[in-house]
Amino acid sequence: MVIADHTFTQLVRMKVFYFLAVFAVLMIAASFFEMPYSRTTEDTAEQELIILKSTAMGSMAMFSVLFAVAATALLIPKDLEDRTLYTILSKPVPRLDYLLGKLAGVLLLVLVSLLLMDSLLCIILNYRTEGLIAMEIEKGKALGWPPDYLQMRQDSISQQGVTWDLQAGVAAIFFKAMIMASIALLISTFSSSTLFTIVIAVVIYFIGHFTADARNYWLHSQGSNVSQELKMATQGIALIFPDFQLYNIIDATIEGKPVPAGIFRKLATLTLFYTGIYSVLAWFTFRKKEF
Amino acid sequence: MEETPAVQINRLVKEFPSPFRKTRVRAVDDVSLTIMPGEVYGLIGPNGSGKSTTMKALLGLLSPTAGSCYVFGKNSLKTDSRQEIGFLPENPYFYKHLSGEETLRFYAKLCGLRGKKITERVDEMLEMVSLQDARKRRIGGYSKGMLQRIGLAQALIHEPRLLILDEPTAGVDPVGSRQIRDLIVNLKERGVTVFLCSHLLEQVQEVCDHVGIIFNGSLVKEGRLDDLIAIEDQTEVVIRHASDRTLARIRAVISDAENAEFVRMGKPRTTLERLFLDEARKSDSQPKEVDDSPELADNHSDKKGADHAKK
Repeated sequence: MVIADHTFTQLVRMKVFYFLAVFAVLMIAASFFEMPYSRTTEDTAEQELIILKSTAMGSMAMFSVLFAVAATALLIPKDLEDRTLYTILSKPVPRLDYLLGKLAGVLLLVLVSLLLMDSLLCIILNYRTEGLIAMEIEKGKALGWPPDYLQMRQDSISQQGVTWDLQAGVAAIFFKAMIMASIALLISTFSSSTLFTIVIAVVIYFIGHFTADARNYWLHSQGSNVSQELKMATQGIALIFPDFQLYNIIDATIEGKPVPAGIFRKLATLTLFYTGIYSVLAWFTFRKKEF
Repeated sequence: MEETPAVQINRLVKEFPSPFRKTRVRAVDDVSLTIMPGEVYGLIGPNGSGKSTTMKALLGLLSPTAGSCYVFGKNSLKTDSRQEIGFLPENPYFYKHLSGEETLRFYAKLCGLRGKKITERVDEMLEMVSLQDARKRRIGGYSKGMLQRIGLAQALIHEPRLLILDEPTAGVDPVGSRQIRDLIVNLKERGVTVFLCSHLLEQVQEVCDHVGIIFNGSLVKEGRLDDLIAIEDQTEVVIRHASDRTLARIRAVISDAENAEFVRMGKPRTTLERLFLDEARKSDSQPKEVDDSPELADNHSDKKGADHAKK
């Protein structure tokens, strides 16, 4: 807890929150976006909200993953280089506590940043949704739309506004960052270079997005010739490279689709499982490491 | 009942893999030593002789290839053995974004201190190392001497019974160096066991009561300092205001004595360090205009440290 608290302070004082100012400007700019007149369709209002959400969620996903990897990859080698690690580990601090403290500090900062960005998104999205509904009702009344159709349009636009499903999407962004931070933690326990850690983590990130497709394609092309051992080997690869396609609910929430509670629970469990596995492996490498 | 040694190193061997070779480099070779509570033990040797490796093994930062290390009877590979240890590494660097006070608070919390106890210990330590004026300043702006002193304060924050110092005065100016040595003597008087590594022999001689000499990883000599450096068959007499006649009579008495041989007579000399410190004290006691620039503030703080050390 002490190390997590300190890591959080350390990162805050590295002026990481400046990114939030960039995000705020991006959000405000996106909120002024309007569909070109020539491309106006029946669901223009919904499309505008989707673009706003897509911009925001894309920025949040990029920030959280990049930050989780870079910060985790940087902190342990920096402690070693500055010899602050000697003074910490010569205190009665178990090495596991040190590792988990660093990880928790990074994740705490990602969480706080995401919550702040999410709050900003909710405020702007809500303001924009209200405005678009008012415009749509005004337009509908002028065109003489029946009340049922007006209600349907209102519901359709609201579905693209602030919903609990959207919050599930933000949570999925955090889950991805959790896994990436724990992967970076594992690599940094045996790597002596921050750059190496970041590059390998990014490679794993990309592999994680294609691993399910590649496995399915390969199994499909092999037909019924695949032995049980090979099937188990592919499952093993899935353990090393997490299947990030499972986190595609983020895209679904941007499009305003509902996220079933069962799927969300499964995702949360999977995230804890992957984070736990990588953290335990990191501890195995770090507990006997010599300085 | 027999007292538990503060440090017990039994036949310690540490080998490192050598890149591009099949053989391994033996950094520490069969070193055994025992330090009893309250002793100040100096491990001296040239660079690369195995001093720091021995210390790291004692701190659990390295696993011995063979042998074992114990701190107050606890295996040094166990985390709880570190409850009794305070450690100051060579050329310590701390988190630059923290102030001196925040740094001590952080280390106090790591040692399990909580609440009011932290505030008490932080104030006490800052006063001990004369850094009260710089407590709110970021560590990034500290001078080398100040860093060494805050390092000493963090090592002592949890009142350890054993203090391990790796080259504690390396790179520190004579005033800062004197203050650190005075602090070590003060800790010794309070019963703290000190184990220090250095290649500055004069400084080790001044503060240690036991020494070990390490060369190429092997402990070649060890024992009480007084026993090791005393020239048993000679006696030193220092006389103030002796006239030429008195000195001649003394020489005559010696030449008349059976088995006694006159070896040398002359004026004892002060050390360059003592001369420097005297001049520093004199210039510090003279009033001068105050300048608030950071560099001068550092020097001022260092001099205050020297004053504290004098007390």
